[in-house]
Amino acid sequence: MQLGRVARIVLATITVVVLALIYLPLGVVFLNSISTSESLSWPPPGFTLEWWGRALESTGALEALGTSVVVALIASTIALVLGTLAAMALSRYRFFGKETVNLLIVLPIALPGIVTGIALNNAFRTLMGVDLAMWTLVVAHATFCIVTVYNNAFARLNASGTRLEEASMDLGAGLFTTFRLVTFPYLKSSLMAGGLLAFALSFDEIIVTTFTAGSGVTTLPLWILQNMFRPSQAPVVAVIAVILAVLSVIPLAIAQRLTAKDAEAVAR
Amino acid sequence: MESAIRLRGLHKSFGDTIAVADLDLDIEPGEFFSMLGPSGSGKTTVLRIIAGFEQPTRGTVSLFGTDVTSLPPFTRPVNTVFQDYALFPHLSVIANVEYGLRVAGVGRKERRAQAEEALGAVRLAGLEDRRPHELSGGQRQRVALARAIVLRPQALLLDEPLGALDLKLREQMQVELKELQRSLGITFVFVTHDQDEALTLSDRVAVFDAGEVVQLGTPREVYDHPRNRFIASFVGSSTLLEPDVAAALGLARTPMAVRPERVTLAESGPGVPGTIAEVIYTGPEHRIVVDLDGLDARITALEPNIGAHHRRERGDRVMVTIEPAAAAPLEPEAA
Repeated sequence: MQLGRVARIVLATITVVVLALIYLPLGVVFLNSISTSESLSWPPPGFTLEWWGRALESTGALEALGTSVVVALIASTIALVLGTLAAMALSRYRFFGKETVNLLIVLPIALPGIVTGIALNNAFRTLMGVDLAMWTLVVAHATFCIVTVYNNAFARLNASGTRLEEASMDLGAGLFTTFRLVTFPYLKSSLMAGGLLAFALSFDEIIVTTFTAGSGVTTLPLWILQNMFRPSQAPVVAVIAVILAVLSVIPLAIAQRLTAKDAEAVAR
Repeated sequence: MESAIRLRGLHKSFGDTIAVADLDLDIEPGEFFSMLGPSGSGKTTVLRIIAGFEQPTRGTVSLFGTDVTSLPPFTRPVNTVFQDYALFPHLSVIANVEYGLRVAGVGRKERRAQAEEALGAVRLAGLEDRRPHELSGGQRQRVALARAIVLRPQALLLDEPLGALDLKLREQMQVELKELQRSLGITFVFVTHDQDEALTLSDRVAVFDAGEVVQLGTPREVYDHPRNRFIASFVGSSTLLEPDVAAALGLARTPMAVRPERVTLAESGPGVPGTIAEVIYTGPEHRIVVDLDGLDARITALEPNIGAHHRRERGDRVMVTIEPAAAAPLEPEAA
């Protein structure tokens, strides 16, 4: 498609402005992490690596990081198992209320976090009468993590139809052998993508987390919020933010590569 | 002798649509049996019921004397070659062919040997380590065949296996399929909408229309004696003669179908006079359409292309004759 000169310049300008709006603040965070100012004043009066050293020694930050990783890992594992099973059921079988079940599974991702948070908080404490803890947080995260896995797996299963599974059964394989040897390998990359997305969702979730984490359970986002406005902690928070920004590129890149590879395989 | 495949009162409906209507069918051991019909005529549904992918609404399926109606596909002694091949994209060619043996617990060495042999039988040795997407359509077709025959099924079910191939390859695969069936000596049940293919390959053909078998017989029986208008026009081409026209041509006063190659044209002599309305050159033959004098009817004749000096022209006057044995009386249409 050919664009006129003016259109090209306008579009290029818009692109640059939007990208700058997203990435300049990230650059500022990086500068703050090496600024000598404790209160993130601008422009930075000077540069130092002190905050990086402090961040790497901060037990609060490291523990919070550990908690976040553990919660995200367990929540996405639960999501992988349940999401896959749900996708299999809804793509391969006909049953009463199927459309409703589909809607109910996907809904949590659309629900405002604050609603999910309040609802689960109520359910845990008053209905079930349990104390908030790490596991209540994991369960809460799993509710919306399931959606990403389910959506990915469901789309893949629907696109393939049942032909490969029929071929497998025709060749003598039962239901479980067929799943193990045909369906699962075929689903693997979409499950990886869905799982990574679930991990990322859980890792930086803060609203639902606020309502469902037990006292003493501090995820990284909670820790950052708590320390953001404490004197002399702000630069340490900036360091953590930079580390997270760099780390978050990795799963994204993997997920993108997997999806691209699949698109290629499907095209052939 | 026991039938290889016996269907009794087989009925399948999807909601309000009847896909297969109370079908009785016997397919014999070692037979190349075709199910021919337009799309939506129920032939593929019957194949899927035999394979076990669909449950009939009522009726029974027996394979070699055993009622398998309620058995799942993985316990039935038949294998399928799918229309789009359905090769496993994540497995190599050899792993695709070994799949059934692997699932059955055959040892690594033994199954490799058998898979190699099957690949040899479909003339595909040397491509063991390729992935399906690296193969041509014809090669994929052969892998699908090898994958099915390596299990030595008692019957092989083929669902429009040549549909995706181009004409040349199709003709070549037809010959190979026939040879393979002869050398294996097993029953082939072949679903197709291509009447040429069905006539060329089959020992017997069942012509499907609207969920029913409308005619069952050898290719010769079906082609030479189509039972009704549908078969006469679907299997090959025919001119349908109304009772008056048939009578004028010296045949019985009843609806008839006549194949164009059985219509004789002459410059003079006996017959019904007519004027040539169209001459279509097809290479090996001329297809000649004649308007019959005073009958408001057209008839198509086929004459071999035997040189320019024998050419007929539009507007030529000809005499049309049909041997009584060359015309097939049609059953009256069911209202």
